[in-house]
Amino acid sequence: MSASLAAPGTATSTAMPRRGGTLAPRLALGAGVAALLLFVGYPLLWLVLGAFGLPRGFGLDGFARSFTRAANVAPLVNTVVLAVSVGLASVVVAVPLAFAVARTDVALRRVVHGLVGLAYVLPPYLTSVAYIILLGPNAGHINRALAWLGLDFGLNIFTGSGVVFVITLHVFAIPYFLTCEALQSVDGSMEESARMLGAGRWGVVRRVTLPLVAPAITGGALLAAVNSLALFGPQAILGLPAQIVYLPTRIFGAVSSYPPRYPEASAMSLALVALTVAGLAAQRLYLGRRSYVTVGGKGVRPARWRLGPWRWPVGGLLMVPVLLAAVAPVTVLTLAAFSKVWTKAPTLDNLTLAHFQAALLDNQIAVRGLVNSLELAVAAATLAVLIGLAVAYLDLRTRLRGRVMLDYLAILPLGLPGTVMAVALLQAFIHPPVVLYGTIWILLVAYVARAIPMGARSANAALRQVDASLEEAARITGASWTAALRRVLLPILRPSLLLGWLLVFIPSLSELSTTILLYSSGTETISVAIYRLNDMGQLEVVAALSVVLIGIILVALLLMQALAGRSRTAVVASAAGG
Amino acid sequence: MERKQPKAAITRRRLGGMAVALGAAAAWRPARAQTGADVAKAKAEGAVMLYTSLDTKIVDAIIKPFTAQYGIKVEYYRGGSADVTAKVLAEADAGQIRADIVDASDIGAFLAMKQRGLLRAYDSPAAKAVAANLRDPDGMWVADRLTQAVLQWNTQKVGKAPAHWEDLADPRFMGKLAYFSSSNGDGAPRLYTLASAFGWKLLERYAANKPLRLNSPQVMTQIIESGERTAGFLINDNIAWRSKLQGKATDYCFPAEGVPTELGAVGLPKAAPHPQAGALFYDWWMGEAGQKLLADGGKYSSRSDIAPPKDSPALSQLKLIVPDNQKLFTQRADILDRLTTIFGGEWGG
Repeated sequence: MSASLAAPGTATSTAMPRRGGTLAPRLALGAGVAALLLFVGYPLLWLVLGAFGLPRGFGLDGFARSFTRAANVAPLVNTVVLAVSVGLASVVVAVPLAFAVARTDVALRRVVHGLVGLAYVLPPYLTSVAYIILLGPNAGHINRALAWLGLDFGLNIFTGSGVVFVITLHVFAIPYFLTCEALQSVDGSMEESARMLGAGRWGVVRRVTLPLVAPAITGGALLAAVNSLALFGPQAILGLPAQIVYLPTRIFGAVSSYPPRYPEASAMSLALVALTVAGLAAQRLYLGRRSYVTVGGKGVRPARWRLGPWRWPVGGLLMVPVLLAAVAPVTVLTLAAFSKVWTKAPTLDNLTLAHFQAALLDNQIAVRGLVNSLELAVAAATLAVLIGLAVAYLDLRTRLRGRVMLDYLAILPLGLPGTVMAVALLQAFIHPPVVLYGTIWILLVAYVARAIPMGARSANAALRQVDASLEEAARITGASWTAALRRVLLPILRPSLLLGWLLVFIPSLSELSTTILLYSSGTETISVAIYRLNDMGQLEVVAALSVVLIGIILVALLLMQALAGRSRTAVVASAAGG
Repeated sequence: MERKQPKAAITRRRLGGMAVALGAAAAWRPARAQTGADVAKAKAEGAVMLYTSLDTKIVDAIIKPFTAQYGIKVEYYRGGSADVTAKVLAEADAGQIRADIVDASDIGAFLAMKQRGLLRAYDSPAAKAVAANLRDPDGMWVADRLTQAVLQWNTQKVGKAPAHWEDLADPRFMGKLAYFSSSNGDGAPRLYTLASAFGWKLLERYAANKPLRLNSPQVMTQIIESGERTAGFLINDNIAWRSKLQGKATDYCFPAEGVPTELGAVGLPKAAPHPQAGALFYDWWMGEAGQKLLADGGKYSSRSDIAPPKDSPALSQLKLIVPDNQKLFTQRADILDRLTTIFGGEWGG
């Protein structure tokens, strides 16, 4: 870290080699670096210090407590079981789906592909609420329908498998997109050769195609598993009533009870980080194997299988997971939002707009939440892209020492689940010298910190596409560094940066896991309003707020699609990559 | 089962407690408590931030006429008692107190805030109607309401209605019970109160009936109303009262052998951003009109001149079990641990 601290000073001499830098670029880059250190480095430092009991004392008590108390061991086990189950379940759902969509002429494949994207951007806590409405014991729509048919399976979403189910519906998109992408870029000539040598259709799949895309599948499964570790929403909304505690909900309990126990929470957070980092490292290893496999963009495009009369039946089958993951949740939330009582049928006399009035006008926490979330998401997206741009610029346009450290710092938040980030920020910014707790700024810092990897990656990808010679040309013809940046580089980058902006905006708008530990009176967000109202059993108002949130997300998705000029889901896929 | 706390930890905690107490003593200035609010200043401040664990329907009803009368906007932060307390303590750590007035249904929470020197003494003319044993001797807090934790059941599902705590331990309620506590343990005080009166064994027998735990009394009553669970222990009297009043298929009782009582209280933070508006709202909240609205919402007021909620027995007719709040406060960690062992799940302990 000290190397990167020294960076700004040495930065500019190499960054602007031709004419010597002016003050502006040094300041801009320096600000980006400083923000990164303050938003990511400093809280992380406090997470580690906190685990040792600082600032109140010093000792290993936090570690001892977190790994010896029975109350903490069960959550650790539950969390690992959750991750493994979700990883496996995601593959089971994602791989056949990806194969059918990428390799056959199955009906509805574009619809399926798009809906997987929607399932991924839908906040998983909303899916959880939707499944309380659908699969709540007795009262849930599906359970009542089954009972009406004389069938009673006693389905209950408030169980460990309920949590796995809802989380899988969200994260299977990751292995799906990665597998799709891999399947599309497999060199078709290899498969053709195998066929010519006499292999059957399935033989080719089993012996050629699957081994070629195996790294993508395994990598996707690992990412799905890692993602599941961090999803506080379903773990809390479904897991807590089921009396099943996971590490994030356990950490939440330790910090949100009084007196808060930071050492224990910090030590458990480090355990969660270890799990996350182990998963990510394994995933890197698997994706690394790609390099000696002939999956490349070039070569023959594999032909799609012709399903003939099976086009529609198979298409119908493919719709099942996306109906469960995207269509059903959005539909039941919309119905509940307009119903006087959600358990009753959506008939005319059960119709009302009262919940929207409550959500948008009367309920002060909901109203504040909506405003705060919009403000925070706009600000966070802007800052994350700017910081990402500074990091990418230092990385790609300079030969500055320490820039590798910066790069690492910028991807570090990927290894930090939202709950962990909250525990780190809480300890960093509740004491002097920088006190942000109790203000909206701590939420902004949290959102920016969480979004920096996305911002940096978007900016990096964008900047890579632009050759440095363009700026150099501008510099040679007499433009200052600032002018070259403003008049040449930024206009070229604008569409990609806007895309990156939206990729940060959407998750920030609905962020829950960090917010729930950091918000205060007056700084509630839409996610907090939804979480709290759900606690109070006001499901209809929750549904109305959800409809508003989903509406904004859909608008952002459409914007993204327009910007990207390619399929929206390809964009989501790149988002899912982390 | 018994305390697993290593000895050293207890000693350190005690030392910590002493240090806090000493700190609080040092911070103590023998200033006289303010008497009554300064209305003009309050109006100039123009806004109040209320932290409360009270049901929002009642809060909204109390706020409305206050704002109409004084033109002072009231915003609130609403959570369970543990949420409210944890939030105030964290804000105090940050030196960023945002609450002008704190209300929570947990005297232990007020003892914690008082010990840390976060509250200021206030001598409200409205608090005079509250019995002396329901007020802090130093004027740091005053009880505003008494919540009785009652037995509730679904009248269509129950068969023979339960009348005693013991009844719910019967195996006929296997898989049919409900209770509540959020993940930071705000259902713990009443469970402790029940256990200290009738033994921890009772709770273990409840646990053997595999009760469904809900996050809040509001959700708990919905579950009993829908018949998903037949009966529940330790739900707020006002919630059970409202359910019955609304004609839902529920009923409730105050068991004759004793009813756990939870004292709610209000206090004013020292570092409140709107001290006079907070004090004025305190006067309103504790005044006859405010407390009448509280009773209209189904709560028992702490004022001796306010009648019980409609169709409810006078408190003097009930055998109230008041917990040892000091113990509840000092032994909180052990109590949460014990509840985790008995019921499982997350208690914030």
